[in-house]
Amino acid sequence: MGEVILTMKGIDKSFPGVHALDHVDLEIRKGEVLALMGENGAGKSTLMKVLTGIYKKDEGTITYEGKEIEFENPSAAQEAGVIIVHQELNMLSHLTVAQNIFIGREIMKGSMIDDAKMNEEAAKLFKKLNIDIDPAETMGNLTVGKQQMCEIAKAISHEAKVIIFDEPSAALTETEIEELFKIIRDLRDKGMAMVYISHRMDEIKAITDRVTVMRDGTYVGTIITKDSTKDDIINMMVGRVIYEDPKTQSNVPKDAPVVLKVEHLNAGKMVKDVSFELHKGEILGFSGLMGAGRTETARALFGADPKDSGDIYINGQKVDIKSPQDAVKYGIGYLSEDRKRYGVVVGKTVAENTTMATMEKFMKGLFINKKKEDEVAWTHVKALKTKTPTVDTEVVNLSGGNQQKVVIAKWLTRDCDILIFDEPTRGIDIGAKSEIYTLMNELVAQGKSIIMISSEMTEVLRMSDRVIVMCEGRKTGEIDISEATQENIMHMATLRK
Amino acid sequence: MEKIKQNPIVKKIGFNRLVLICVMILMYLMFGAVCAMMGRASFFTIKRIFNALNYAYFLGFLALGVTFVIATGGIDFSMGPVMFCSALVSGYCLTQYGVPLALCIVISILVGAVFGMLNGYLVAYWKMPSFITSMASMMLAKGLGSVFTKTQSVSWPQITDPVNGWYRKLVKITVGDATIPTGLIIFAVISIICAILLNNTKAGRYITCLGSNKEAVRLSGVDVRKWEALAYVICSMLAGVAAIFYVGSYSVVQPGLGDTFNNEAIASCVMGGTSMAGGIASIGGTFIGVMIVALLQEGIRAVGLQIDYQYVVTGAIVLVAVYADIRSRKRRN
Repeated sequence: MGEVILTMKGIDKSFPGVHALDHVDLEIRKGEVLALMGENGAGKSTLMKVLTGIYKKDEGTITYEGKEIEFENPSAAQEAGVIIVHQELNMLSHLTVAQNIFIGREIMKGSMIDDAKMNEEAAKLFKKLNIDIDPAETMGNLTVGKQQMCEIAKAISHEAKVIIFDEPSAALTETEIEELFKIIRDLRDKGMAMVYISHRMDEIKAITDRVTVMRDGTYVGTIITKDSTKDDIINMMVGRVIYEDPKTQSNVPKDAPVVLKVEHLNAGKMVKDVSFELHKGEILGFSGLMGAGRTETARALFGADPKDSGDIYINGQKVDIKSPQDAVKYGIGYLSEDRKRYGVVVGKTVAENTTMATMEKFMKGLFINKKKEDEVAWTHVKALKTKTPTVDTEVVNLSGGNQQKVVIAKWLTRDCDILIFDEPTRGIDIGAKSEIYTLMNELVAQGKSIIMISSEMTEVLRMSDRVIVMCEGRKTGEIDISEATQENIMHMATLRK
Repeated sequence: MEKIKQNPIVKKIGFNRLVLICVMILMYLMFGAVCAMMGRASFFTIKRIFNALNYAYFLGFLALGVTFVIATGGIDFSMGPVMFCSALVSGYCLTQYGVPLALCIVISILVGAVFGMLNGYLVAYWKMPSFITSMASMMLAKGLGSVFTKTQSVSWPQITDPVNGWYRKLVKITVGDATIPTGLIIFAVISIICAILLNNTKAGRYITCLGSNKEAVRLSGVDVRKWEALAYVICSMLAGVAAIFYVGSYSVVQPGLGDTFNNEAIASCVMGGTSMAGGIASIGGTFIGVMIVALLQEGIRAVGLQIDYQYVVTGAIVLVAVYADIRSRKRRN
């Protein structure tokens, strides 16, 4: 057990209307990996942002290497050796690996940048870390996993003393995660202090020494990883035992009509000859690894991206979907995985977002009937239990789960028969998650049909009536829920050609 | 401070707009004081106010129009020259070809509409950057106006003209000693129409929404291209309207000019709280912004300074306004 390098004590932070951190404590030690866990919205990111100077704390103290400090901004924190490796990588894809690592402090020869020297230094760094990457390679050509390694190498080259990993494994494959863990273990043995933020329980068990759990902006406790079970941690996180049982058989009658049929759909590099059918009242799960082409298939089907070839039939009628406008006309609604970019207009109100796809229903002659708009928005807020003070609140002020509910409300207002849920619960806390599951089940009970793209195996097994598996743009499997297991889905998801 | 901001009346008008009105009044008093101190003719005269208003009308229509474009997250640098092109083409038709005046007013607005459709089509349908597109159409407007009149300036008829003088009554009507500022009434009415268009109609809703997040609006099944293009058409048609008020005040238009008015119109807009990032727009703010720029223009001349000083002051005000916009957006996130 190493000595303590950084302590946060009684950290308090409020935003208008939200008490984000309520006197939270955290202790980081040398030669140790500390897991920081909690549901989304528990305050993990806020705490790390306070630490690295992105937010100013209202109360509390931060002690680093024996001195009380407060970093002015992230670069001050970086200078002092406290570095975050972000979930989204901050890499310039057209530069080389070495250029990325030395960005902002290029090695110079006179007034020119010395690329040869930088490559040499980067190679030394990689050797020290046992990473096998060519420093002269262009960053954009590397896999996400390798890019992450570069990010870590960059942190090390800044003489990091504390490295914070913010959900590093979200975009990695199994082997890449293994490689990442090797490096983390290596760094731990060299005495590095690390914080590992993740939702994946098995990773926490595999790599961390202690677990600090947060819930609703408060500190719940810290436990030794090897002395605790998965259930212990989950109990601390949610304050209750949750039990997710997989669906054992399809709820769709055998003779349910086909509402959507896709034949030989091709679009760009990521969608190759995809065919499938969707039945009335069915939840059709789309499983696969990241980059399997599931989102691309949905976007091509919805007309968001152009398709190269393929036929789409709705209720037996061949339709020509060239744009989202056409798709919406045929009763398809799309809930994107990236809500902030493709789902909601964050600068606009809940009511304005709710009626976005159905404006014509809310017109009184030339003018918008704002009263009716508010009424309908309120109905949905109440039915979906959206947590928002008013319907005139801008969506930017809502949490991820509530933003998702606003997007759902938008499509419910439209009364779509086919809904595409792309990662419906990504970035949403467990409470809101089960509400969204209940809602999806209600929707199919009403006779709507759902395509659900999900990277979470438990979600796929719990919600789907049938599962389609994709790998590298191809459909590699289709399986009824009664026969689906984690293992056979995973097998199909890795059927590379 | 917070207490004032939370006051329901202040909230209704908008705190920033109240500050702007105070700035305007202060500026008016300051110019008056400086004129008095320097022993110049009094600034507090009706004539000065009418001079400022003459400037406010044409600039106001340009600024109202560009508010829509900025709300989409775009920019239009062509409206000043488009206004001159409209005035040149319609004026040339009037003076050289004897086209009836009423028809010439329609021609002026149509010339604007053509440029608006060009800008809108290229930006919305061909995804060309609005900055470059409007720069190019600025050149086109300057060049075509000049070609049409064979590089001659055009003099619009005076109020004394028995047949065609009536259009000046759109700007002001003199009855005995009293002068009725009809231009101000028309400007106010069109401002209100623009505010309703922006806040209470489908067009305005989609224009501000797509300025905030175009992709999300498109994925809601909305034809974003149509609404984005519409903003440019509104903008340039209002430039055609502005042309009539320009010649109604100043009579003469020369070819090859007009770009300085772009900056002033955009400045008025930004001052009024319309965000250059798109999505947030205020017609009321633009209205006050226009009045400030017009007052500034008249005030600088009244104290005997060169027009260049006006650019310096306008530039400084715009910087402050943009900084305030960025600050407030940072706080919101």
